[in-house]
Amino acid sequence: MAEALEITGISASPGVGVGPVHRPVDVTAEALALRDSVAAEGDKLQQAVATAVAELKALADRSDEESAGILDFQIEMLLDPALVEMAEDRIVTGDGAALAWLGALNDYIAGIEAAPDEQLRARAVDIVDIRNRVLSALIGRPLVDFAPGSVFVGKDLQPSLFLQHDWTAGGGIVLFEGSASSHVAMLARSRSVPMVVATGRFEVAGGIRALVDANDGRVVIEPGDAQVREAKSRMARSRPIASRRTGGTVKTADGLAIRLSAIINDPVEFKAIDSSSFAGIGLMRTEFLLTSAADAVDEARHYDIYRRALDWAGEAPVTVRMLDLGGDKTLPGLGAKKSESFMGLRGIRLLLARPELARAQARALLRAAVHGDLGVLLPMVTIPDEFDAMQAFFEEERAALVRRGLQARMPEIGIMVEVPAAALMLDRFSRSDFFSFGTNDLAQYLAAAARDDQSVSALYDAATPAVCRVIAQGVALAEAMKKPIGICGEMASDPWHIPALMAAGLRHFSVAPNRAADIRSTIGGLFSDGRAAAEVK
Amino acid sequence: MDNRPRRKTSETVDTHGYCQAEIEVTHGFGLHARPSVIFTRLAKSFPCTVEIEVNDSNVWLNGKSIVKIMGAKIRRGSILKIRARGLRAAEAIHALRALVERDFDEEKKHGRSA
Repeated sequence: MAEALEITGISASPGVGVGPVHRPVDVTAEALALRDSVAAEGDKLQQAVATAVAELKALADRSDEESAGILDFQIEMLLDPALVEMAEDRIVTGDGAALAWLGALNDYIAGIEAAPDEQLRARAVDIVDIRNRVLSALIGRPLVDFAPGSVFVGKDLQPSLFLQHDWTAGGGIVLFEGSASSHVAMLARSRSVPMVVATGRFEVAGGIRALVDANDGRVVIEPGDAQVREAKSRMARSRPIASRRTGGTVKTADGLAIRLSAIINDPVEFKAIDSSSFAGIGLMRTEFLLTSAADAVDEARHYDIYRRALDWAGEAPVTVRMLDLGGDKTLPGLGAKKSESFMGLRGIRLLLARPELARAQARALLRAAVHGDLGVLLPMVTIPDEFDAMQAFFEEERAALVRRGLQARMPEIGIMVEVPAAALMLDRFSRSDFFSFGTNDLAQYLAAAARDDQSVSALYDAATPAVCRVIAQGVALAEAMKKPIGICGEMASDPWHIPALMAAGLRHFSVAPNRAADIRSTIGGLFSDGRAAAEVK
Repeated sequence: MDNRPRRKTSETVDTHGYCQAEIEVTHGFGLHARPSVIFTRLAKSFPCTVEIEVNDSNVWLNGKSIVKIMGAKIRRGSILKIRARGLRAAEAIHALRALVERDFDEEKKHGRSA
């Protein structure tokens, strides 16, 4: 047997797949239709667009949030009269509806493909998708799906085709062009469909067996059984811990598992957010519980919400941050701002100064901790004495609850790393169970620039490298102490900062749920040291 | 939150239902799929005309058309002029400008400080 043909490309979604090749037929070849009157051709086009919109809406209805977002964009494009008008200009000059649509859309797509920015170029395939869907409606032919388990090999793959295909039987995607930032690459990563892009054009007949080894950015045509076994076993080795809650972990391009937890600001979010896609709650703020100082000491109210959070998370950990009042967060009669600096009596300083506040919240946390994996984060800790004082509150309250015959359990207590003095001295916090970087405050204190003051916002931003250096140092200290460390600041919800945070050694990110899809796909396109997988072929 | 430096922006209002603003796009990936959807939906919610011009190109595009906005290939760092004419023009400009400044609300719901 001849030696198997091997082709290299860029991994856009890790994993290994094997199956018969599916080659799409170019729909444009059949697009020429006989022309009717100008008005009739215009009507046909309008109807085809309406059909396409209805199909996309139906598809969006049965898709998850991320996929529906992509389809929404396509629907919005089709509902914009500008596309049809561009085609109508061509109908007037003598083209049939199909040809006019194809010509107008191809020109528009060519414009997007020539964009200077890869993120925008990657949207061209969404518009190809729109073009083909309307064209199919015009020529009365459904978009063809392909056999489950196949390896799709083509110039590009449209998101709606991806979404209507059944990937549970395996298979993979090989694109001659394509981009790791395309919508289809995002979808492939979220469904764990192996995908290799930018292989350049190669010839392969449909039905021939192909191996997509997207861990190595490699495609093998007619692979030997030994090659398939070898690629699959390498995959098994690089993924030792298959977490049951896979939604809460994301694999980097080189197979390292990164934990993704949710940031919760309001209990109403429990209904809207799917807990199975997160490794629990990395930060639940408790300021939202309150509209008055009386609320702050309402132990039952605190307890009720912590229980709901634990129910939502199931077996996964829930980390609650104790009241972080003072600075920019105040309540009538509590933590009123005395200066613009945010550096006065706030966070744990205020809690220790107002023990009734801290103790009420500690009691609620101690009682809730019986019902799940609960952690507590202390805000604005500067020195170990503050941690020790708060831990003493917890111990005293726990003893008192037990004396009253109530169930109580000591939660894990960790600190927010947001004051530079603490960040630089993490090794002194040996009694803290875990650490979490609060980069919003850390950055403004490192730069001595308030984040809400536009006149110095450039400094706040420019301090990012300093923040990353402090993070890297903190991660090293925490690792030496064998303590978990993560990040819950807004930097972690911004795809632009993820490479630097990964390079700094962070492996646990708490993110705003509505940013999770972007963060997940960003991490999937990076190596564990933060380098872009697409850049390092 | 985004605290990247912004070019100083301006806003002009007159009494005849005309209003214009200038703003730098600082959103991560520029005005692409989702931001364009959000921008045009907001523009369409006002009765006045909304037009945009990118990087002093002298070409004014319909700000309610996602097709035109995508076609304009607006990148992060582009200078966007937005003008509106007609009923509630000042309100429209104010809202659209605030949307660009808030980076298209992609982090609004969860954007409280940590």
